[in-house]
Amino acid sequence: MSPKPTQLLALLLAAIVTAVVLVPSAIILFESVLSPERKLSLDAYGTVLGSRVVRQATWRTFEIALSVTALCILAGYPLAFAIAASGSRARSLLITCVIFPFLLSAVVRAFGWNIVIGETGLLNRILLGLGLIATPLQLLHTEIAIILGETHLLCPYMVLSLLAVIGRIDPNLEAAAQSLGASPPGVFFRVMVPMTLPGLFAGTLLVFALAMTAFATPWLLGGTRSPVLTSLLYRYAFVSFDMPRALAIAGILLILGIAFLILHRAVTQRSAMTQEHAA
Amino acid sequence: MTSWGADLGLRCWRALVAGLLVFWLVFLLAPVVVAVAVSFTATEYPVFPPQGLSLRWYANALSTSWFQESLATSALVALASTAISIVLGTTAAYVLSRRAAPGRAALEFILMSPLIIPSVAIGFALFHLVLQLGMQKLSFLNLVIAHAVVTVPFTLRPAWSSLIGANRAIEEAAQSLGATPWVAFWQVILPTILPAIVAGAIIAFTFSFNDVTVAVFLVGPTTKTLPVELLAQIEYTPDPTPAAITAIIMAITFVFFLIVERTVGLDIFARTE
Repeated sequence: MSPKPTQLLALLLAAIVTAVVLVPSAIILFESVLSPERKLSLDAYGTVLGSRVVRQATWRTFEIALSVTALCILAGYPLAFAIAASGSRARSLLITCVIFPFLLSAVVRAFGWNIVIGETGLLNRILLGLGLIATPLQLLHTEIAIILGETHLLCPYMVLSLLAVIGRIDPNLEAAAQSLGASPPGVFFRVMVPMTLPGLFAGTLLVFALAMTAFATPWLLGGTRSPVLTSLLYRYAFVSFDMPRALAIAGILLILGIAFLILHRAVTQRSAMTQEHAA
Repeated sequence: MTSWGADLGLRCWRALVAGLLVFWLVFLLAPVVVAVAVSFTATEYPVFPPQGLSLRWYANALSTSWFQESLATSALVALASTAISIVLGTTAAYVLSRRAAPGRAALEFILMSPLIIPSVAIGFALFHLVLQLGMQKLSFLNLVIAHAVVTVPFTLRPAWSSLIGANRAIEEAAQSLGATPWVAFWQVILPTILPAIVAGAIIAFTFSFNDVTVAVFLVGPTTKTLPVELLAQIEYTPDPTPAAITAIIMAITFVFFLIVERTVGLDIFARTE
């Protein structure tokens, strides 16, 4: 019997996505470990990690990703719990505030931050007006600018990851804890936070991976003074035409990004499975 | 005494929670509101709060050739890639929803891989491939193919969950009444999952229209998408024209956002996995 049409379709679809996404990624990984004499070698990685610029950018990338993840957790909890607790009108208003910026281009959002934190921007004017600072802060093209921009870019992912688990918490639990004498902070830290750990892990891994590999936000807000790995990748590929270095940096980003996102999938699928068992 | 203390503690906690919430909402909306407000300024430079009220930067933006060209490119790329992505995603959802399709887990992994591999790596990898194949001149085609495949997870997911929820019995009924699988798909299944397909299509379109990370590696000198062109122009444009363009992009995105909200509801974003 000939294969069924659905099987042929499945093969065709798999082939298309493999050809456009998986094969090109595999090619850059492979080429990144080839020497100019087409022999296997890690020289390109050695050269790249031996350069001070790349080491600084790698360190900066990690530092930023860590700060962004921490800030996203601080933003995620109040926003997710507020969304979960509100009635339908307030809920859709809050989701709008979280989701609408989420859909906007990173360029558009970074431009907004440009105006907010620029030398004559909103933030400096407020701080000067309040007398908190004497001279305008130079925030643009610093790590702080990138951290602000990426937190804005990625905190919706944290909110959505937390919402996915908050929705599964039995609403009677909060009332039960309160009737047993737990204070609202006690309910939050001792009951709600432990119950949301799978969402927190999932959100943390997702935000960290996306923060390390974000491109437009650090490019616009960090400028050339604070390059991260992705801005170096772009510079090597398009400005200095240094393909071996670009390949090595792309290899590093690819491996880090995939590792974190596979962990993320494992965490979310595990929590979905325990959920199925409980149901 | 204790109850008074507890009461005070409770109030402090509530004030803290409310304060945090307001802080983060302001944080989320500040860059959006500020960029839109600045676009209406009458001054020669971006300033907030805007001074005077003027539409001159909109007029300026609309008459700027790079804006006209890149807007057209972005719209065409987004339309073409979304159309392809709908076909791929819906077909994939149909295949994945079959009960005993062999290799289903592998297929799902491959189809979802655009979400696992960092966009910046996909963009660079495609740029590298395009160079090796000598396809740099076909940048429009490259952009369409890249966006079509990268958005497959967005068109696949809503259609898939809708198909799982759809009553398989009606398809079997149609087939037992003599409809071929093809006819049953077009006349029975497709109409039931249409809202999900539309939702997925809007998300895919919005992604393509706003993407810069993949597109920046694939654009050609005459085919630049709007976000990529804006990325390059912001540095060289000291006047508020980029603010007006930013506001126009936001308005277009907001229309799509409203369509999603009114048709399938915002909860489509809330159930991510």
